[in-house]
Amino acid sequence: MSGKDREPVFPTRQSLGIMKSKLKGAQVGHDLLKRKSEALTKRFREITKRIDEAKRKMGRVMQIAAFSLAEVTYAVGNNTIGYQITESVRQAKFRVRTKQENVSGVFLPQFESFQTEGGSDFQMTGLGKGGQQVARCRETYTRAVETLVELASLQTAFVILDEVIKVVNRRVNAIEHVIIPRTENTIKYINSELDELDREEFFRLKKVKGVKEKAQAAEEAERKKKQQEQKAKSGGDSDKENGNAASEEPQETKNVLGDEGDEDLIF
Amino acid sequence: MSEGMFYNVTAGYIEGIVRGYRNTLLTGQSYGNLTQCETIDDVKLQLGPAYGDYLASLPPNPSTSALADKAMDKLVAEFRYLQANATGSLAKFMEYLTYAYMIDNVALLITGTLHERDTRELLERCHPLGWFETMPALCVATNIEELYNSVLIETPLAPYFKGSLSHQDLDELNIEIVRNTLYKNYLEDFHRFVNEDPDIKGTPTCEVMSEILEFEADRRSINITINSFGTELTKTDRKKLYPNFGRLHPEGTLMLSRADDPEGVRIAVDGVADYRTMLDQTGMGGSSGGIGNQSGGIGGDEGKSLEDLFYQKEMEISKLAFTHQFTHSIVYAWLKLREQEIRNITWISECIAQNQKDRIGNYISVF
Repeated sequence: MSGKDREPVFPTRQSLGIMKSKLKGAQVGHDLLKRKSEALTKRFREITKRIDEAKRKMGRVMQIAAFSLAEVTYAVGNNTIGYQITESVRQAKFRVRTKQENVSGVFLPQFESFQTEGGSDFQMTGLGKGGQQVARCRETYTRAVETLVELASLQTAFVILDEVIKVVNRRVNAIEHVIIPRTENTIKYINSELDELDREEFFRLKKVKGVKEKAQAAEEAERKKKQQEQKAKSGGDSDKENGNAASEEPQETKNVLGDEGDEDLIF
Repeated sequence: MSEGMFYNVTAGYIEGIVRGYRNTLLTGQSYGNLTQCETIDDVKLQLGPAYGDYLASLPPNPSTSALADKAMDKLVAEFRYLQANATGSLAKFMEYLTYAYMIDNVALLITGTLHERDTRELLERCHPLGWFETMPALCVATNIEELYNSVLIETPLAPYFKGSLSHQDLDELNIEIVRNTLYKNYLEDFHRFVNEDPDIKGTPTCEVMSEILEFEADRRSINITINSFGTELTKTDRKKLYPNFGRLHPEGTLMLSRADDPEGVRIAVDGVADYRTMLDQTGMGGSSGGIGNQSGGIGGDEGKSLEDLFYQKEMEISKLAFTHQFTHSIVYAWLKLREQEIRNITWISECIAQNQKDRIGNYISVF
């Protein structure tokens, strides 16, 4: 974060303006991103909690479901029941559709389970014996699959949010620790350069003024000389008057030069 | 008592063997030990005396289905031995026993054919007791018409198809209806057989088997009725699936065919005390309407579903069958008891495998 870390710009007033607006933009962006990251993190924590719950629930439900399958095997008394059921199913009854949920600009897919209308394809299975167990088992497994779908949607959201939060945090940190200090440095640099230029200009003008004064003085001296020479030619009185006039004249020119210098500075 | 004089000439050996088999059935104590097991390996160890050879080849910690398969293998091997030694009316009787499994197998193969699966793979899934020689031929058929016209006719089940199912039915009707129609025909045929066969008529076999078959018929009627609530099965179709005999027949079945809800079923079976108490026990006649709530309660009587109670009743009837002598019905009883034993083992090992010990006591033990 030394003074060297700045953007490659020419230290002009125009780029100073640009930099200032850039700093302002960076600060606003930083605030917004920080807020977004916080919102996402909140959501993330919520999802983590729900995943935990869903996983526990899944454990329980799957256990019950597996057990109800054991009940079916017991009641029906043979192993071919599974085959009969898989063969008699014609179309999926339990379906999943997705929709999107927008959490501060992030699209999270959500899976929603639903059951198609109409009776089940294997409602007659186990008509002779075990039909009730088969129906019960079907219900338990439907619940189990519902839990799985819920869990799947949470897990997907979890992964996506994790990614997004990382990106947002990276951006926040980049703005906070790189862009803002660099812009500030640049502004500082431009300011100091501009001041330096000011001082140089001032000094230059002073120098110019000095040189001009010298030249004036030399010219004056020359003119005096010439006048004195003329007086010496014409007479002593006129010589004295001229001397007074000459002493007044340089004062006036000094003022005029000073004014010019001011004008230059302003210009 | 004439049957007692000559029964042993033809079937004495089989009866002796079956009674021996009956003594190896797991007792209440064995089940008590099984429920104490912590792992499937423990179960395997506990089953050692009864199933030793068959379980030996299982890997450590086998799956419950593998365990059940091995147990079933033993049952099949024993049944095959009996069948090989059976002669005369007993051989015919045992053939009838296998028909029930054949119906399941045929239904399975028809399902496969309907969905144009490779039926050869299905042969492995078929119940070994329901195996018959022409069964692989079922796989040759590629469409239902062919299956019906050329293959099913050759099977022992052909009479059950004849007259009640056409090949269009196979295509259009739900396979479950086909299965239950076959089963109804089978039960009626079996009932007719035990009552009319000259060798069996008037023997204890006739007496005991009639009781068992009547119970089986009633059980199916009640189950079909209850299971069909809320399905597309119409009342007239449902009525066709009821066997035409049994303690409920004809008034009870007629009322069953009109029942709309569990309450209707209760009224229909009101005439038979056994079934009435069963339905009362499950709380089905009441307003609770907890059908088949096998998992409703933990232990105790209220945790039993109607299905459980039927199994329980079946086991009791089977147990009583052994009090008769000189009868074929002990073979049937033994078969049912062994099936229940395999189900019990599966249930217990399933409970242990899934760590759901609270319901482990739901097995049915009668000895």
